[in-house]
Amino acid sequence: MPSSVWLAAERARGPLPAETDVVVIGGGLAGTALTYFLAREGVDVLLLERSALNREASGTNAGSFHFQIAIHQLTARDTQGSHERLLSDVRLHLRAAELWQTLQEELESDIGVHRTGGLMVAETPDELQLLHDKQLIETEAGLETHVLEGVALWELAPYLNRKLLGATYCPAEGHANPFLAAPLFALRASDHGALIRTNVEVASVEPGFVVGTSAGAVRARRVVNAAGAWANELAELSGLRLPTRAEGLHVNVTEPRAKVLEPLLQHIGRRLTLKQADSGTFIIGGGWPARPELHPARYSTRWDSAAGNAAVAVDVMPQLADVRVVRMWTGVMAFTDDLQPIVGEVGALPGYFALIATTGFTLSPMIARLLAAHIARHEPLPREYAPDRRPVSTTGGD
Amino acid sequence: MTEERYDLLVVGGGPAGLAATAEGSAAGLSVALVDERPTLGGQIFKHPGLRVTDHRALGRDHLRGRRLIDAAERSGARLLLRTSCLTLRGTEAVLLEEGAEARTVTAQHVLLAAGASDRPVVFPGWTLPGVLTAGAAQTIVKTHRVAPGKRVLLAGSGPLALAFPAQLHHYGVNVVAALDAGPPPRPADLVRMIGAARGNVDLLRDAVQYRSELLRGRVPLRYRRIVVRAEGRDRVEAVVHAEADSEWRIRPGTEERVEADALCIGYGFVPSVELLRIAGCSFRYDENLGGPVVVVDEWQRTSVPGVLAAGDGTGIGGSYAAEDQGVLAALGLLGDEARATPVRARLARRRAFAGALRRMHRIGAGVYELATADTVVCRCEEVTVGELEQAIDATDDINVVKGFTRATMGLCQGRSCQRQIAAAIARRHGRQLADVPIGTARSPARPAALAAIADQSVEDRGLFVAE
Repeated sequence: MPSSVWLAAERARGPLPAETDVVVIGGGLAGTALTYFLAREGVDVLLLERSALNREASGTNAGSFHFQIAIHQLTARDTQGSHERLLSDVRLHLRAAELWQTLQEELESDIGVHRTGGLMVAETPDELQLLHDKQLIETEAGLETHVLEGVALWELAPYLNRKLLGATYCPAEGHANPFLAAPLFALRASDHGALIRTNVEVASVEPGFVVGTSAGAVRARRVVNAAGAWANELAELSGLRLPTRAEGLHVNVTEPRAKVLEPLLQHIGRRLTLKQADSGTFIIGGGWPARPELHPARYSTRWDSAAGNAAVAVDVMPQLADVRVVRMWTGVMAFTDDLQPIVGEVGALPGYFALIATTGFTLSPMIARLLAAHIARHEPLPREYAPDRRPVSTTGGD
Repeated sequence: MTEERYDLLVVGGGPAGLAATAEGSAAGLSVALVDERPTLGGQIFKHPGLRVTDHRALGRDHLRGRRLIDAAERSGARLLLRTSCLTLRGTEAVLLEEGAEARTVTAQHVLLAAGASDRPVVFPGWTLPGVLTAGAAQTIVKTHRVAPGKRVLLAGSGPLALAFPAQLHHYGVNVVAALDAGPPPRPADLVRMIGAARGNVDLLRDAVQYRSELLRGRVPLRYRRIVVRAEGRDRVEAVVHAEADSEWRIRPGTEERVEADALCIGYGFVPSVELLRIAGCSFRYDENLGGPVVVVDEWQRTSVPGVLAAGDGTGIGGSYAAEDQGVLAALGLLGDEARATPVRARLARRRAFAGALRRMHRIGAGVYELATADTVVCRCEEVTVGELEQAIDATDDINVVKGFTRATMGLCQGRSCQRQIAAAIARRHGRQLADVPIGTARSPARPAALAAIADQSVEDRGLFVAE
């Protein structure tokens, strides 16, 4: 085993500084990545986390890279301007794909990045048509995807149910280890001089800024809200409202089996993400809800979610039928109202930034780097991700 | 499909569950009793696989078990064998019968009486074939009539350190030695035991019988000795043991090596609390009662409305106390204060007796310090002490240690290693084991096939749609 890739507990304890340039609030993937990129730029930065690093969504997701267009992005496809929006989404995904490929080198450690390819299956003629439609946009944006049908699909994925009509194959998709990514960002941030304090809860954010915490107050020139699913609770401390909400999601994890499934599997019309980890276990999710509980209790399991999730998985990959589920997780994810990331300064409160990647494992490091470059060097940010953008409804028929 | 409803759903067919089932049914409640085994009786009254023609030959314990099982079987309660309870929300349970699909069952009350399992103890060589828990040894001897080895060594503590070797010896197993990590009984202990013996004659008689069985068989019983490691290439060939201090820490230089091809480990029991934790019940911590102990009131009610708990799953108290608790749980549903009073008095006497034995029962912290850096702690995911300690340097949160190392994520879901990890966190961060929160409780309580869980009728509203 290499020397520890985790920040020693001692380095996340100790007094707070009286002042700093940037206070980042939230020790998930977005917050730790931003802290790293800021520290690397030489910015004086303090990361505050109320419990332990990587404890919430960043450490309770499957670590999948979602680069091709998914159903939730397509729900507003008939509305004016959605073509441009989808193009810009896919281009951001492309940049995220490039970043993940170089991240292990940059962070000087293995975080389990694997480019396995991803398959999004369709089982009705309408769904198949959607695959063809979205492939045009993916191609235009520069993301390589192929719609496979018949023999071409069965050769690549013999484990799929033969009733499926086709699948989009995206070679760039894959995964990283969600237990390692954020902790490693934190370690490298600390190596670059960032201060990281865990078990410090923010109680107030006064303009100016004075950040009041359970461990005392800190003066800061700038504040970044990277609190993920709790971003709005934090924003409320400053009288702000961000267009996000929290959703609890269900995951079924199975016993290990011999490796049969290389790519990430998704469904264009049903709730399914399915992959086989290096350890051989199948990790099955896809947006089935978990029951909300009050923090710090974990969201609880809804059996109908477990049962519905299992049903789609077995339907898509019949040989999973006798594989046993050993554990059910729940994770709480931040969803922005238009399902696009929020990156940038809040107009009403100069110096206050928000950094929230909706369904964020894929995008967080990428948007963190964008924001770091903006804070450190005033590089422009994409307007479409500004916190104050005009909201676009994507709730579709819901 | 018609909804499956009961007044009382009992999970666990040991003494507590059997007693509650019989009592509840007799009073006219609709009762279902769930047990994952094919037969009733729990770990203690599990009967031999062979057909039993002479119950008396199998001893008093067996007769008591037979009586409890008969009462439950005749009670009219629905007996759901080969059935596991996967999860619980309030008094709604998900049950899975072997070979069938999972189903949801609702009840007015649920009694969780899942019993206990051997305290997992990790030391160098503990994963070698030939090392087994006392419970497993008992099962293969009683059920399969097979000796675990030709030269069997027992290492453990408490009354069972006596009982197991005595039982094994009784079945003709060659027990080369029995090691008890605790001190020998002092005259003062015997006086306390006799003082508390009123109403506990059975318990006292058992202890005396075990002792004399060992003496008759000339099985050396050695106090203040604890296992250090098991040695062997492909299986156990020898066991090293040493003198233990009052905290069960090894005194250097006192090691002895003894040749043995089987090592039975019996350092007490830990309550099976998976379902109680999934249900969200309140717990306290008492290592001597097995660690996490669910909080119950005088009617065995937990902090979750409608959820009751009885038996060793509520803290190790033995089969007699379990039976009484099962009866109390059922009487509570009927509000039968008059009949509960004598049961409570008897239960109090049992507790007094257990308390008298506590000096010898006490679990020393050293039991969690036997592993060395390259000892595998989590055998499902093959995580060593060294790897765990590296992660524990970075965090005192067991959930984070899980994420870093994958420990506890295998088939057993941490049943064997969770406490070891908590003990390592306590040591490294200068805390008491009782103060280290255990990992988040996760369903299912038992592994279940995807097809058995799957339900095609659940509406799928598409990916990431807000509820």
